[in-house]
Amino acid sequence: MDNIRNFCIIAHIDHGKSTLADRILELTGVLHTTTNAQVLDSMDLERERGITIKAKSVRMPYKSKDGQEYFLNLIDTPGHADFNYEVSRSLKACEGAVLLVDASQGVEAQTIANAYLAVDAGLEIIPVINKIDLPNAMIDECRQQLEDTLGLPGKQALLVSAKDGTGVPELLEAIVTLVPPPKGRVDEPLRCLIFDSFYDVYRGVIPHVRVFQGSLRHGDKIMVKSTSEVYEVDEVGYFTPKLTPCEVLSVGEVGYVGATIKNVGAIHVGDTLISPEHPETPGIPGFRRSQPMVFCGIYPINTNDYGRLTAALEKFQLNDSSIVYEKESSAALGHGYRLGFMGMLHMEITMERLKREYGQELVATMPSVIYKVFTTAGEELYIDNPSRFPDPTRIDHIEEPLIRLRVIVPNEFVGPIMELSDSKRAKLVAMEHPDRRRALLTYEFPLAEMITGYYDKLKSVSRGYASMDYDFLGYRNGDFVKVDILVKENQVDALSFISVRDSATPRARVLIHRLRKLIPRHLFEIPLQAAIGSKVIAREDIAPLRKDVLAKCYGGDITRKRKLLEKQAEGKKKMKMVGSVEVPQEAFLLLLKMEE
Amino acid sequence: MRGLYIHIPFCVRKCSYCDFYSLPGRQDRIKPYVSAVITEARAYAGLSFHTLYLGGGTPSLLGAEQLKNLIGGLRQTFDLGGLVEATVEVNPESATPGFLGAAMDAGINRVSLGVQSLSDCELESVGRVHTAARAIDAVTLSRNLGFTSLSADLIIGLPGQTWDTLSAALETLVRLGINHLSVYCLALEEGTPLAQRPPGNLPSDDTQAELFELARAFLIGEEFIHYEISNFARKDHECLHNINYWRGGEYLGLGSAAASHLQGRRSRNRPALDAYVENPTGQAEYVETLGGEEKAAEEAMLRLRLLVEGIDPGVLSGRFSPATIETLVSRLDSMVLSRMLEFDNSRYVLPASRILTSNEIFREVLGTGTGGVPGGRHCEV
Repeated sequence: MDNIRNFCIIAHIDHGKSTLADRILELTGVLHTTTNAQVLDSMDLERERGITIKAKSVRMPYKSKDGQEYFLNLIDTPGHADFNYEVSRSLKACEGAVLLVDASQGVEAQTIANAYLAVDAGLEIIPVINKIDLPNAMIDECRQQLEDTLGLPGKQALLVSAKDGTGVPELLEAIVTLVPPPKGRVDEPLRCLIFDSFYDVYRGVIPHVRVFQGSLRHGDKIMVKSTSEVYEVDEVGYFTPKLTPCEVLSVGEVGYVGATIKNVGAIHVGDTLISPEHPETPGIPGFRRSQPMVFCGIYPINTNDYGRLTAALEKFQLNDSSIVYEKESSAALGHGYRLGFMGMLHMEITMERLKREYGQELVATMPSVIYKVFTTAGEELYIDNPSRFPDPTRIDHIEEPLIRLRVIVPNEFVGPIMELSDSKRAKLVAMEHPDRRRALLTYEFPLAEMITGYYDKLKSVSRGYASMDYDFLGYRNGDFVKVDILVKENQVDALSFISVRDSATPRARVLIHRLRKLIPRHLFEIPLQAAIGSKVIAREDIAPLRKDVLAKCYGGDITRKRKLLEKQAEGKKKMKMVGSVEVPQEAFLLLLKMEE
Repeated sequence: MRGLYIHIPFCVRKCSYCDFYSLPGRQDRIKPYVSAVITEARAYAGLSFHTLYLGGGTPSLLGAEQLKNLIGGLRQTFDLGGLVEATVEVNPESATPGFLGAAMDAGINRVSLGVQSLSDCELESVGRVHTAARAIDAVTLSRNLGFTSLSADLIIGLPGQTWDTLSAALETLVRLGINHLSVYCLALEEGTPLAQRPPGNLPSDDTQAELFELARAFLIGEEFIHYEISNFARKDHECLHNINYWRGGEYLGLGSAAASHLQGRRSRNRPALDAYVENPTGQAEYVETLGGEEKAAEEAMLRLRLLVEGIDPGVLSGRFSPATIETLVSRLDSMVLSRMLEFDNSRYVLPASRILTSNEIFREVLGTGTGGVPGGRHCEV
């Protein structure tokens, strides 16, 4: 056990985490060829967006300079604030963390958030300054920022270029000397942390685990602490990064457990596997069921595709158990599902993947947070769908979710960022300066405002320089109303939205105006209205279409004319019928873009 | 009925709205082009035709001699004994007594004049070569030479156009003895200079619709028949060549970019002048043979453009098997119920109120409005 080192790499997005992991894998001989393929990011989308969604781990043999042989376990972590809890569980499986900072960028918001998580987990932190080969590397500034912002020994930070391999051997040496070996006793009852899992069609759910006490081998019985469900282990092993079976996973080790767990919902990240003979063994502290924060409805464009959507979601959830979904039906959109996500990015990625991997044409409705609605009858309702809001007369008060948001931004953009955040009902709680050129703004921020385009806006007002991270704070009371949208007297439930009372009318006006431009003219007039209850707060009309004719049907080129009509018909198939009105899909995402 | 179309892809200048295949400044190629057309014609030697149409481009740029050569060559190659209508498109600037006289001598009995407008501002704004006065002269000249079937094209929606200018043009043309009018709404075709830089005074679609309705009312008042969506004619002056297109009839198109419909097969020559002159018979770039149901649906769509004639169910069942038209007819019947069509005098016809919003109806007739496109299409490129 003294020769095991469990560590992770934590970094802001694009600071070079995956490239460094590749170099380490090469250096330890796990990965032979030098390629650009980043081994730990296996999903296309992860690579495209430069972020790791699913955590993975790899065991690497390593012979140190003094001739000692080690096993290094590199535990990968998801790289986004949406998965804060998952990150914290992965960190829990380690004794040390390599904190990577891009020499040309310095400490960013996610660097800070991750560093705090690593400190909370009690990890040995090895600060590393990466990309020192870049001409604009600011090594001294980075050292200073590590000291000032994070209280880390910046002067001792290792200098690395993951791209060309400089400093990576020294980093491996530092890992074996600085990161403490795991502790724990093999003769105590089994206690292991589940920090990730994946689904295998033949073997069911395969949890990734870190053993904290005892050992695990083929034939052992295991019990899931939170549910007391018992399974029999049919395989244990580790990742190289392929699944490599072994005889035993002993205390301090990291690996996987196969136990024919068929139900995806049986295994949750953060839960503990124990021995059924010792049900009193305490779970690893910090376990909670991850709660989705952002919800949206998805509907097939063609109602006949509902069955395919159902199948796609079932399959999808096997590989991402953090997604929750339930049946939903909308008067405007028919039958669909309401999906819950860990955050905005998680939602975007999932929608992309659903479309890409399952070839589904989907309408996604405006995302919503969960509101706590307290009724006059004393009930406390959790409502994630504006169309399910109770009648205003039944509502006593409403609370909305609040996050703590950290934004790091160059000084010159502080003004615009503050202005933007003010317009989003944000409360500035602290302003610090990690270095002379940048500010760290900490806000209490309504999550609902975050999911309506704040991030894109933040990026654009700071010309891409701002970085942000957030965590969940709690609920706060507010004065909210539900705004309904009516298209030719038909209420489009999928377009209803919750707004602070004061901004309901201006938001409704913008929405109605956009809607007018988006819905094509029909042969009849289409009134568009926004209303709170029965009170109309905004209205515009779409004038009837007077001309839609292929006049010049001439010269005998009939095929071209017919193709034109067929192409028009194809376009119409992508529309959703609301009463007699054809509404394009984009309309359902309008609210998202309303503030642009 | 079988029609013969000859495409003449030459122009003095390209109008800013035009997306037809025509080339300015290539008149040097007219002579070899005419020879190429005759060569292409020989591939179909012996076919008989009832109508002939020289379109363009600007057929009047052929000049008297090449027109004579062309028609002479066609007469040698085909059986034109049953020809009842022979039209040439003439642009006012090239409507010379020499050309028109040669046309008359060659057996042309119908002249279609590219008038487009009788306002010099409007003509200039889209790059037309001629003036209003020149257009009026061309009409007068054609009539004086003895052409009894005279057609003019007018465009609705030209920059700055109002009912004042349009109605003046209509009145003048009717007074001059025009007995057929093609009235087209200006469309901003992708890639044309007009679409790239549309002028600010371009009438909106709504204005176009209004102008069209006014023009239609005016012409009906003058006892013209609105016999096709874009075409008005005095009785017995309808363009038979074009009617044949809309009845799903056969036609052979010769020349670069010309389209044909022979034995249920649609094809089109590549729009490439030099390649055509080089190899006139190897230019078919798009060939399509529609399956039964689709063919019937396409023909129904075309026939509905004929506002008076419409679709006679008897004619339809004479041309297709009962099984082929079964779903089409039930579709037409349900469209009558939903008032997208009228059933009048035992024919399906487009309601007058839907002439300018007919695309929806045509999509429905094609069967693309509700579900998938019926199968059975066979494409080759």
